[in-house]
Amino acid sequence: MNDKLRIMVVDDEAIVGKRLKPSLEREGYEVETFGDGTSALERMAQKEFDIIVTDVRMDDVDGMQILEHVRAHSPRSKVIIITGYATVELAREALVKGAFDFIAKPFKPGDLRAIIEKAAVELAQKE
Amino acid sequence: MADDTPQGRPCPQADLSCAGGEAGIYAGMAGSGKLECDHTAWNEQLRLRPKISIRFRLILAFSIIFVFCAAITVWMFYAVSTVQHKIHFLEVAESYVNEIQQVRRFEKNYLLYGTNLEDALGHLSRAQKLMAENRDKVIKVISLDHYRDIIRGTEEYAVLLRRIGDSRDVGERAEVESRLRRHGADMVRFAADFAERERQAVDSTFLLVKRVTFAFLVVLLVMMLVAALFINNEILKNLRYLRGYTDRIAAGDFTHITPRRWYRDEFTQLAMAINHMIDELERRQKILVESHKIRAVGNLVAGVAHELNNPLNNILLTSASLEEDYDLIPKEEQKEMIADIIGETERAQRIVRNLLDFARESETRIQRLDLNKTLQKAIDLVSNQVRIAKIRLETYLPENLPPVHGDEQLLGQVFVNLILNAVDVLPQGEGRITISVDKDRQDGYVAVSITDNGPGMPEHILRRIFDPFFTTKPEGKGTGLGLSVSRGIVQQLGGYIRVESEVGKGTTFTVFLPTTEIPFEPDKRQQAQQAPPEAA
Repeated sequence: MNDKLRIMVVDDEAIVGKRLKPSLEREGYEVETFGDGTSALERMAQKEFDIIVTDVRMDDVDGMQILEHVRAHSPRSKVIIITGYATVELAREALVKGAFDFIAKPFKPGDLRAIIEKAAVELAQKE
Repeated sequence: MADDTPQGRPCPQADLSCAGGEAGIYAGMAGSGKLECDHTAWNEQLRLRPKISIRFRLILAFSIIFVFCAAITVWMFYAVSTVQHKIHFLEVAESYVNEIQQVRRFEKNYLLYGTNLEDALGHLSRAQKLMAENRDKVIKVISLDHYRDIIRGTEEYAVLLRRIGDSRDVGERAEVESRLRRHGADMVRFAADFAERERQAVDSTFLLVKRVTFAFLVVLLVMMLVAALFINNEILKNLRYLRGYTDRIAAGDFTHITPRRWYRDEFTQLAMAINHMIDELERRQKILVESHKIRAVGNLVAGVAHELNNPLNNILLTSASLEEDYDLIPKEEQKEMIADIIGETERAQRIVRNLLDFARESETRIQRLDLNKTLQKAIDLVSNQVRIAKIRLETYLPENLPPVHGDEQLLGQVFVNLILNAVDVLPQGEGRITISVDKDRQDGYVAVSITDNGPGMPEHILRRIFDPFFTTKPEGKGTGLGLSVSRGIVQQLGGYIRVESEVGKGTTFTVFLPTTEIPFEPDKRQQAQQAPPEAA
């Protein structure tokens, strides 16, 4: 098994996945992107991801549901929530439900990378 | 630019009046373009007619009735006093005839039995005295000539009586005697004839008075009927007409009262006052619509901000990636990324423009609308609210809808209000809103139904939801004006809103909008707008 961190990016905005994938891969992560929550959940059943970056608002399965799913099935994975419209309530809800952190749109790839690095450190410490 | 156009217009508050006026008669003159818009024009028309006030007409009518009654009274007075004189005369005539008959009896006694002649002469002088005493009364009834005839007759009678008393000659006595008898008979007949004629005159006057009394009643009744008819036509009918008008105003029809008669009166002043009130109501309605729109914009802003963050995020991610890894990215991909930036910028622009289109204060422009397009714009505006609330929105917008008449922005406001109301009552995640358009539900109308599966409303709330300032939302969240304003807008376009609700099942608001008669052909419409409005 390679020691690359496996990252999943879920956002119904296609450009988000398109830009984050090469940017994160250049940092040495293994990245898969999904345009909707359903296919992301299907993929999770087949493969375990270390870090899941998901948009909170999506039409079918939203970020909160993904968060709940991950907490239930893969508690060691870190979930980073992307919000389009950051509110204190949403942030609190996400953190209460066990999200690692959240990031508000619009953000730069570097901002997300910093959070992922923090998550990677935490993952490494636990192991 | 569009924001400051109202200041340049001669009558900014008349915008909606044009809208209402055009909407009211558009079926006959669709496409003839914007009406000449001067809200003082009708008042001017109302004022220019000759003035015949109701007060004047009432005074005239009552004067005519009074003159008629006075004439009848004067005539009655005259008739009664004539009868009174005649009765006096008849009394005198009767006494006179009595006296003359006494004279004749004594005369006969004298001639047959040789009694004294003094009694006869006494009665005759009493008859003469009677006539002399009642001269004034008598000549009021019979002419002075006839009076003189009577006096002369009695004098002659007296002469003959004395002659017969004095004459000793048998031949002369017989001649005087026959003259005396004839004269006496003439006297009695003369007086009796007169009395009889006057009695008849009295009778016929009485009959006339009786008839006139009834005729007077009949004529008075007719006059009163005419007066009642006048009051009905001129006052009650106008009151009813104006009451009908207030009902129409209450229903949202803000067309001015127009002249219907060739003259003006007190009701004209009332009509002008109502027209003034209509102008004020329109102005206030417009302010209300505008202020409520600003509230709706406030509600929409959260969703729009959320929606705007998506293209902004895409732009930032893409441009930051370009900056970071410019040299690593192949040329092809660089081009694609730049195209993405442009595309996303345009997307952001569209989002902002949608909201600005909705928020902008603009002139009301009544035109034929493609309802599907108007609805789609409204749906786009609220789509984020709907998504944030995780509500499923289903739309059934059939093709080939008949065009409706209205202002795109105002109608959009109605749909946005109704959808946002539904969003507010729906629970997160389980809510469903169905928007459907039905052109066959009612003849001449297109029905737009907005159905939610929310908690519904009980009857006592349902009855009040269109009342201004009535709200079921928590304090600070709703103004209670949304539905009231929406109904005002729809009514001005000649339509109406129906609501059905069942507690626990959901609510359906249905907007009925009148369809235009002529098929929707944008090119023809533009031509018609340029042509002079002959149809009007």
